[in-house]
Amino acid sequence: MTRAPMPRLLLVVALGLAALYLFPLYWMYVTSLKNGSEIFANPPTFWPRDPSPGIYPQVWAQRDMAVFMWNSVVIASGVTAITVGLGTGCAYVLARYRSAWIDAALFAILMLQVLPASVMITPLYVGFNQLGLLDYPRLSVILASAGKAMPFYIVLVRATFMTVPKELEEAAQVDGNSRWGAFVFIALPLARNGILVLAILTFMTSFGEYIYSKSIIQNPAYQPASVGLSSFLGPNSTDWNSIMAYAAIYVTPILAIFVILQRRIVAGLTSGALK
Amino acid sequence: MRRIWNSITDGMGFDLVLVGLAMAFLVALAGLPLIYNVMMSFQEVDMFTLGSLIRPWAGLDNYREVIAQPEFGLILRNTGVFVFGSMIGQVAIGFALALFFMLKFPFAGTIRGLFLVSWVMPGLVVGAIWGWILAGDFGVLNAILKSLGIIDSTMFWKSDPRLSIWAVTIANIWLGLAFNMLLLSVGLQAIPRDLYEAAELDGANAFWRFSSITLPMMRSTLGAVLALGLIYTLQQFDLFPAITEGGPANSSNVAQYWAWQWSFQLFDFAKGAAVSVMMLIFVVLASAVYVWSTRHEVRG
Amino acid sequence: MSYTAKTLVSAMALAAMTGGAMAQDDPVTLTVWSIDGDDRPGPSDTFSAEFNEQRDDIQIDYRIVAFDDIVNETLRAYATGNAPDIVSFDNPDFALFTSRGAMLDITDMIEESDVINVENYFEGPLNSVTWDGRIYGIPKYTDTIGVFYNKDMFEEAGIDGPPQTWAEFEADAEALTDPANNVYGAVFSARAGEEGTFQFLPLIQMSGGSYEDVNTQGAQEALAMMKRMIDNGWASQDVLSLGQWDATGTFNSGNAAMAISGPWEIDRMVDDADFEWGVTLLPVFEEGDERSSALGGFNLGIMSTTEHPEEAFEVLEYFASQDDRLFPEFGNLPARSDIELPETGTPEKDEALAVFQEQLQYAQPRGPHPEWQRISKAIYDAMQSALTGQAEPEAALAQAQTTIDGIVN
Repeated sequence: MTRAPMPRLLLVVALGLAALYLFPLYWMYVTSLKNGSEIFANPPTFWPRDPSPGIYPQVWAQRDMAVFMWNSVVIASGVTAITVGLGTGCAYVLARYRSAWIDAALFAILMLQVLPASVMITPLYVGFNQLGLLDYPRLSVILASAGKAMPFYIVLVRATFMTVPKELEEAAQVDGNSRWGAFVFIALPLARNGILVLAILTFMTSFGEYIYSKSIIQNPAYQPASVGLSSFLGPNSTDWNSIMAYAAIYVTPILAIFVILQRRIVAGLTSGALK
Repeated sequence: MRRIWNSITDGMGFDLVLVGLAMAFLVALAGLPLIYNVMMSFQEVDMFTLGSLIRPWAGLDNYREVIAQPEFGLILRNTGVFVFGSMIGQVAIGFALALFFMLKFPFAGTIRGLFLVSWVMPGLVVGAIWGWILAGDFGVLNAILKSLGIIDSTMFWKSDPRLSIWAVTIANIWLGLAFNMLLLSVGLQAIPRDLYEAAELDGANAFWRFSSITLPMMRSTLGAVLALGLIYTLQQFDLFPAITEGGPANSSNVAQYWAWQWSFQLFDFAKGAAVSVMMLIFVVLASAVYVWSTRHEVRG
Repeated sequence: MSYTAKTLVSAMALAAMTGGAMAQDDPVTLTVWSIDGDDRPGPSDTFSAEFNEQRDDIQIDYRIVAFDDIVNETLRAYATGNAPDIVSFDNPDFALFTSRGAMLDITDMIEESDVINVENYFEGPLNSVTWDGRIYGIPKYTDTIGVFYNKDMFEEAGIDGPPQTWAEFEADAEALTDPANNVYGAVFSARAGEEGTFQFLPLIQMSGGSYEDVNTQGAQEALAMMKRMIDNGWASQDVLSLGQWDATGTFNSGNAAMAISGPWEIDRMVDDADFEWGVTLLPVFEEGDERSSALGGFNLGIMSTTEHPEEAFEVLEYFASQDDRLFPEFGNLPARSDIELPETGTPEKDEALAVFQEQLQYAQPRGPHPEWQRISKAIYDAMQSALTGQAEPEAALAQAQTTIDGIVN
């Protein structure tokens, strides 16, 4: 486990595996650069005959992507704020005890997110309509997707809190701190890395939210990029190089942030030992 | 009043407030819709009554009719293939990769980081890309397999009823690999080094070390990964419309997509709800496994 | 155009009379939902914008809804009291709404109207907006399908002229298939969805059947033929999952010698296909048989929940008054017999148009039936299970017939 006989060879293997794994992404970028009919060519070309990067600014402008991307950021930020705000405390308490009640609560949390969003949307729409929330479509989507994101967040952050030694908190309480004090000044800072990383992941996942936005947000000025993308996918309007260009513009920022931060993300998660 | 306040700052009340806030939110945004679906599955629903809760009672009629559909058995089987195929693939490959990246070689951490990108990819985009890769005539997977001599005739991943469910499963394994590998990596790193060193001193070989140290120590992590994987897989929807639309002839249709088809293609919302309620049974099992696996957790 | 001018004149006259008092009132706002304007300008979005320019008293709030979502979004909006004033559906979906009273009966308004005249519309499209003898909408545009063929490949294979019968279609496909160059003889869409039914139902109809009576001899033969073509590699197995647009894409790139599709392909084909191509009518089983084809296209209707029926009807009138622009500007065929389509200057496009206009005479609507979606599913399920070999054509169609009997009776 600890001795590697041939590090170089392993590196080559690792690079090969990474190339295999990342191929779908490569294919997205290559397809976006091909022209309409080359896409359907058989056999496919591995490098576009006549790469046309002009498609990127064209799709960006034609599709009003600036607006869509901004809405994705707004929605993802809102979801992250609610999820972290409500989920962290819950995860902390669930990590602190071991009892049948905690088991029941964990079970309930998992159960509450069993239905796919495609099935949840009708009741949510009806409920939001009755509360008048549909007039604030982005808020509605934020609430709905926070409900979807929170169970995973709680389960994973709970695991992070499991690594915070109970003794430290007890010592803090003996020193005169209240439970709040122990939570805010001892447990939170120690679990900071894990929480931060899961918040980033929540943000990135909500950046791709689709089903709720599609049904709830009717005004294109408030729709996120996923809905903008899906409007390409109608049966008679399939324009694959533009779709792939759109997809590339859509995911490249999150991929870039992810690649830049990945060391910290991995470190944050691994130091927080999700045992 | 004061006692309540004290309890909130320093006693049980503190725990209840923290858990209660999150639970109240979840009940409102996930619990109520769940109940609405369960109710709807026992009622007659049409476009006029979609917005109200009181509707004609249908008893078990919706369930009976759903089960009587000729495709019911096929969809049940496909759901099993998709869920277990995805989970086995994700855990096996994810575990292998996690073990591989525990080895020490240059850039191991960085390259492992690259393997996480599928986690943040929107399902819709992944579906669109894999739909392309898996296409029969102009799909790149066939071109690669042919040039490597693995196949000599075109494999119609999306249109051959024997392959289509596997096409979606492959895409889903790719999508879920990151999550599995990461959780398993984390579990592996938590295993104390000295256990392995002691075993090595005793002359234990690699296989023995794996089966007598790694696997038992990973039991709770594996339980969590499998349970979350099952829930995650049953939620997977975006890939289906993008790759096969459940076809051909329902050969890649699964419960969650079927429920959507009932509601949004045939506009029979009650039947869609009935299918989704049946899916609950699967998830009750998975949640029980997860909770059971946390019993082996040790708090640090 | 004359209508526009008239509106302007009357608006000006009115404004003069009332001293501009009208402009001070809040305009009536109407919501219009349609699939147009997604990737390129379409009729409804363009006409809405123009209407807003011309009018101060009525303003349109236009919303694009994706093709796959427009029916269920409207259902949900209708059930929760958020329905649009005017909505545009694919013609077989229209009856779902008319049959439940969700669309406004505009029969009397049309009788009074100077702009909309029932006699001008083709029978098929008009049927799809009619329920119980009353009219609930107007056809927006129409389309149908025919066979596109690659003239260069036909010439090379020594075949003179496109196929006239399905037997010829199959024989030509065999002759034109060229695996070495990745060329299939034919491509079509047998997808599990409305497009699959759209392409298969005409074959049922031309063999004497209808959507209520699908298990005909001819339909069985047609399924057997399609299966032979797939099994022998004369058509790609991917026809089972390709939509019409993607399927025709393989024709444009030279990977298929014939493609079954409709006039919406023409503009892209002019740009993309670097070969000579033509269009012919959908073949028949025996020469001299009665022809048939699919009737596509969208309808416009006012929802019964609207608070402003008169104003909404004015919008419909404006849209209808612009029908002569449908083909030159948007490539859509008007569903009317009183509109002459001008030459476009692209010979291939004009020839194709002539064929599709002839084909339209044989086009038959799907339904109208309030549960069309379930009938359609029975038909494409039967087609798919026969083509994948899960069931013999006869058994598959018998199963569909049982399902359909349960819905229709």
